[in-house]
Amino acid sequence: MKGHRFSFLLGAAALLAACAAPSAPAATTVPTRPSEAAAAPVTLNIIMEQVPDYDIVASLTRQFEAEHPNIKITFDAMPYDAMRDKILTSALAPSASYDVIIVDNPWMDEFARAGFLLPLDDYIAQAPDYDFNDFVGPLRDIGVVDGKVYGVPYYNYALGLIVRQDLFDNPDYQAKFQQAFGKPLQVPTTLEDYVAVGKFFKSQGIFGAAMQPQRGYKIFEEWKNWLYAAGGNLLDAAGNVIIDNAAAQQALEMYIDMYKNAAPPNSVNWGFDEALRSMSSGESATMLSYNWMLPTLNKPDGPAGELAGKFALHEVPGGKAVLGAWHWAIPKNTASADAAWTYIAWITSKAIDKQRVIAGGAPTRVSVMQDREVWEKGFGQQYYETVLKILEDAEPLARGARAEEIINEVGTELNSAVAGEKDVAAALAAAAQKTRAILARP
Amino acid sequence: MLKPPLTFKHRLVLPLLLSLVLILGYPLAFSLWISLHDYRLTAIEQARWVGWAQYFTILAQNASFWNALGNTVRFVGIAVSLELVFGLLLALLLHRKATPFRHFFRAALLVPMFVTPIAVGLMFRFLLNSQLGVVPSVLRALGITIDWFSAQQALITLALIDVWQWTPFMLLLLLAGLESLPEEPFEAARVDGASPLQIFWHLTLPMLRPTILAAVVIRMLDAFKVYEYVYAITRGGPGESTETIQYHIYRVGFLYFRLGEASAMSYILIAVILMLVVLLFYALRRESLSQR
Repeated sequence: MKGHRFSFLLGAAALLAACAAPSAPAATTVPTRPSEAAAAPVTLNIIMEQVPDYDIVASLTRQFEAEHPNIKITFDAMPYDAMRDKILTSALAPSASYDVIIVDNPWMDEFARAGFLLPLDDYIAQAPDYDFNDFVGPLRDIGVVDGKVYGVPYYNYALGLIVRQDLFDNPDYQAKFQQAFGKPLQVPTTLEDYVAVGKFFKSQGIFGAAMQPQRGYKIFEEWKNWLYAAGGNLLDAAGNVIIDNAAAQQALEMYIDMYKNAAPPNSVNWGFDEALRSMSSGESATMLSYNWMLPTLNKPDGPAGELAGKFALHEVPGGKAVLGAWHWAIPKNTASADAAWTYIAWITSKAIDKQRVIAGGAPTRVSVMQDREVWEKGFGQQYYETVLKILEDAEPLARGARAEEIINEVGTELNSAVAGEKDVAAALAAAAQKTRAILARP
Repeated sequence: MLKPPLTFKHRLVLPLLLSLVLILGYPLAFSLWISLHDYRLTAIEQARWVGWAQYFTILAQNASFWNALGNTVRFVGIAVSLELVFGLLLALLLHRKATPFRHFFRAALLVPMFVTPIAVGLMFRFLLNSQLGVVPSVLRALGITIDWFSAQQALITLALIDVWQWTPFMLLLLLAGLESLPEEPFEAARVDGASPLQIFWHLTLPMLRPTILAAVVIRMLDAFKVYEYVYAITRGGPGESTETIQYHIYRVGFLYFRLGEASAMSYILIAVILMLVVLLFYALRRESLSQR
């Protein structure tokens, strides 16, 4: 008898492991024609990632509220990992929890095609002096899905090569490099040079590159720059999967060569934080990272301490960079679409965007990056010109309704190869096969 | 005289039964329904019936699912066996009246069990971090280099973290079992000149076997649900070397939004766990019958 009771309890415990799902949302009516923001008081709830740029936006927003007394803004700032679920839950609910959202570029096509987002074309067309074409082309294009604009650029995540310029300018290192390779020590512009420079610095007691081979998003984001430099891509112009071709093979072999022979040991799980620590502590000479990390590293009271001022930003080897971006968007089920657009149009307007960039925000508008006042009050002409060059020749990490899944699955296979669990050919074949299967789903 | 269809005592439990049906029954039925559909959170209106094909595809074609199940079984095997060994050793030590401060240690050793697993995961993520961690730093000073999160080591590391947290639970159950054993057989064995090792092997262990089995069953079922350490520390990497079944289900359901497929995986997991429960239950029953 006791035994029966015990088994029932265990059975019940096992059954409790099953998961439930939310029910389908009711249909909602949404405003389709832009108009002036309602005069009635409205509170906009905005979801954002808890990063320094959010602080800048939050502080500028006080100015917005003063100019628009009928619109109150509340922010729900959170870590990146929590955002996608929250946005999805809000989108599936009968009424929106969020009136304004920010959308990461792998989610843009997915959310737009799922019918979660409101097209912004009419709003943009009727906004006075908005100049939508002033946003850098590749950034602007991410927000366009099936010919309609669903997102306005807020923040760029394009990658650049951040180097310890003082090491490259060091006469002793220059002489040694010249002697070893028969050419001057320069910031690398090709993969071959990058690996050679990385190994050279390792031989001098400094790791050549603080890499980010962490499974999933991070390794895919970093390695895809190598893939571009080798002449490869995830898909060709016709949409065929080509991640297992010769260029990809070469890019991954060189990436692993750099990891094994120039990167800090035991860094197969490193992501953004670890690589930044390695750079700022003086352990490593270079890293591929977000362009806006340069001001952080060069800040006198920043993480790099005495090394502040010794870092420089360059284009990634090969020139073509991976582009990530946040976009402002309006959920289809919000009851305050007009007010939401009023806020987005204000925060992304030329004048306010200039203030945001001067305060340290990641630039998105060409006019702002070419503005002398921004150069003087921000981080200098060279920095903004380099960022603009990077952005103009950048391509999104992945596009399509299943970008998130492709990024994670390919990133898993790449990490397997770096960790030595699979050989390069097998990992790339698996990545290609998984990508084809994902794209083939109805 | 006819009995009323519902007696008073039945009517008393009716609210509870109705609540259970609502709280447990509806979600289970709904998750079973979506497990038979191609049900994606980003295309709920396009949900279509796929039936058992979804289960067949997972079982026959999904290498990642089997890899995750294999990782989970390995994790459970390593963690539970080590917890049993350490738990039994500690229980024997704390059972001895000669052990100094045994009441203090009884309380102190239970502390890890009360920390939430996600916090334990984050704690060890930093403790074992090659850049910041005190453990690698101390080991380096001793000339030892261990990459705690390499492809070969990471799953073992996660199992060791589980051992740190859940050995106290095993200790608690085994100590209760030890204290409930009758004293007479042990006194007789000592009078007959049996050594402590003989007493342990021929008396303690056989008499404690039902308790051990129950403790192992409970811990195994709990260890099968490992998710927090994986989420906090490795996210299933390197490669898929630490992807456990719960993390895999989370990834498919909540990262890729394929909730139908994730639900089907959950039902397969329930079937596996139920089979395990039945097997262990029969082992328990046989054990209790042989004790009579």
